[in-house]
Amino acid sequence: MYDPTPDQRVILDALRNFLRTRVAPGAAERDQTGEFPLDLARELGEMGVMGAQTPEAYGGSELDTATFAMIIEEIAAVDGSLCLTVASHNSLCQGHILVAGTEEQKRRFLPDLASARKLGAWGLTEPASGSDSGGLATRAVQQDDGSWVLNGSKNFITQGSVGGTYVILARTDPARPGRSKNDGISAFVFNRDEVQGFSIGRKEDKLGLRSSDTAQLIFEDMRLPEDALLGTRGQAFKDVMKVLDGGRIGIGAMGLGLGRAAFEFAARYASEREQFGQPIAMNQGIGFKLADMDTQLEAARLLIRKAADLKDAGRDFTVAAARAKLFASEVGVRACDEAIQILGGYGYVKEYPVERFWRDNRLTRIGEGTSEVQRLIISRAIIAKHKQDVVGA
Amino acid sequence: MKILTLIRQVPDAEARVRVTNGAVDLEGATLVMDGMDEYGVEQALRLREGGADAEIVALAVGPRRNEDALRTALAMGADRAVHVETDAVLDPISLSKVVARIAQTEGIDLVLVGGQQADWDSQALGAATAERLGWPQLTWTNGLQVQDGALTGRHDVDEGNETFTATLPAVVTTQQGLNEPRYPTLPNIMKAKKKELRKDTLDQYGVTPLVRVVGAEIQARARMNRVIDGKDPQAAAAQLLELLRNEAKVIA
Repeated sequence: MYDPTPDQRVILDALRNFLRTRVAPGAAERDQTGEFPLDLARELGEMGVMGAQTPEAYGGSELDTATFAMIIEEIAAVDGSLCLTVASHNSLCQGHILVAGTEEQKRRFLPDLASARKLGAWGLTEPASGSDSGGLATRAVQQDDGSWVLNGSKNFITQGSVGGTYVILARTDPARPGRSKNDGISAFVFNRDEVQGFSIGRKEDKLGLRSSDTAQLIFEDMRLPEDALLGTRGQAFKDVMKVLDGGRIGIGAMGLGLGRAAFEFAARYASEREQFGQPIAMNQGIGFKLADMDTQLEAARLLIRKAADLKDAGRDFTVAAARAKLFASEVGVRACDEAIQILGGYGYVKEYPVERFWRDNRLTRIGEGTSEVQRLIISRAIIAKHKQDVVGA
Repeated sequence: MKILTLIRQVPDAEARVRVTNGAVDLEGATLVMDGMDEYGVEQALRLREGGADAEIVALAVGPRRNEDALRTALAMGADRAVHVETDAVLDPISLSKVVARIAQTEGIDLVLVGGQQADWDSQALGAATAERLGWPQLTWTNGLQVQDGALTGRHDVDEGNETFTATLPAVVTTQQGLNEPRYPTLPNIMKAKKKELRKDTLDQYGVTPLVRVVGAEIQARARMNRVIDGKDPQAAAAQLLELLRNEAKVIA
């Protein structure tokens, strides 16, 4: 019952075929050069991977979340950088338009995104506001003619410099009395080639995911039309939380995929590499490491599956997604770390891919909410539940 | 016109194949459409896209799991599929009987099969099918067009390449270099479910295997781990020659 469905098998076969012939051969070199593979993004667009969950009416593939997570896991197992591009393009930029967009906005922006004619970026984080995302300083001021003027900057934005369509969070109003400081934040969507006052700042030089594009965005009196507002004015933070809940399933699947790639490499290596007259996997010190990696990755896969199924059933999946992302990223990175240990010196050099898997995967404990933020979400839900129990008793 | 494209399902090139109880054990192996047959599906699609008014029928003869390969063909663009479901392992001559029968009952004009079935390596299926039907066969094609109801193209011969024309109906075997097969798109994979996938049984064709496999073993390859010290190049070359001559026996 945990086997993939016939549809999923055919999808994964086609995807693996593409990954093996088009993506795998250049992954290590792109990690070195940091070159963004625009051609691969376009080809994945033609296959339908870049609009995986977007409804067919808007040019997407309309897949369920469990299948999307499997796709992300497969891509991560070959190229973490490309995986982050696919995950963020789908879950964040398109995810926000799907959660909050009007019919007109969906028709206008989604077809170009789902086909990857345009790449999508999503801007929440700022230099001074990371986990404390409600503290963002970018301001949008509505003019007399209804249009908006944005000033501020965004940091660590995936597809920042290669994006075509951007969703940006900015404060339009002060938080109303009695509300949290998340109140008064609004979202805006626009195509980069249709605005002025928008520029790209620094492109980041990262530990891993080096051929994924990460850049700073700068808005200087950037004017947007009235209908660039995405969702209800001042209420965007609720949408942000929903978008991030969905995004976390993707980042969890990415952590799982990279961990699996490292695990499989280490398992093959340990079964073939002989020291002291036998394969090193026969030593319990190594064999038990493999057993732990395998078990933890399988548990992560099940947590991701549960969060995905809850999301598709329309149920609350905030805590399930936080658990899945927390666990999958933590055990995924650990699997990469153990793989380096099993390979020894070969794990530490660039001739073998496991050091790249580790560097790439380290991001999954940080992006779309750090492990600490996930624990905050989970613990607050625990406290809320048990406090109610006490009051109820 | 109607094009029949035969699909075989084989282990992925990277799959690790095991032998259990004298038979190849595919449990847990990733199975994919045979690459050679993929060229056939792609070529059928290209003939249609090139202007031929063609209905494309994908055919698989084999176990239930072959459905995945048929779904892939449907997702690539085949119009419908026929699955003769059987767990029997058919030799190429027996299989050709099924293919020829379907070609006749479906009124097929062009049969496309892989030149070299990746799991039998016999190169016999195309020829046997053509023989049964009395149709021309063109093997190892690397170019194929349909014009005014006739087939034109190129194919490999022993020491070069020939161009040909042939009348339809005909049997054509495909190979690498004929085309670059497309990847099925995700929406087309989902839509392929709605296309017809007819199930037949082997009994309907009155075919029983002529050859039975009684054992299988995997060629074991082991490294000799012989390292030649290269400090003295002349001595190293002499030692290498000696090994190639007397141990590996690859030169006289």
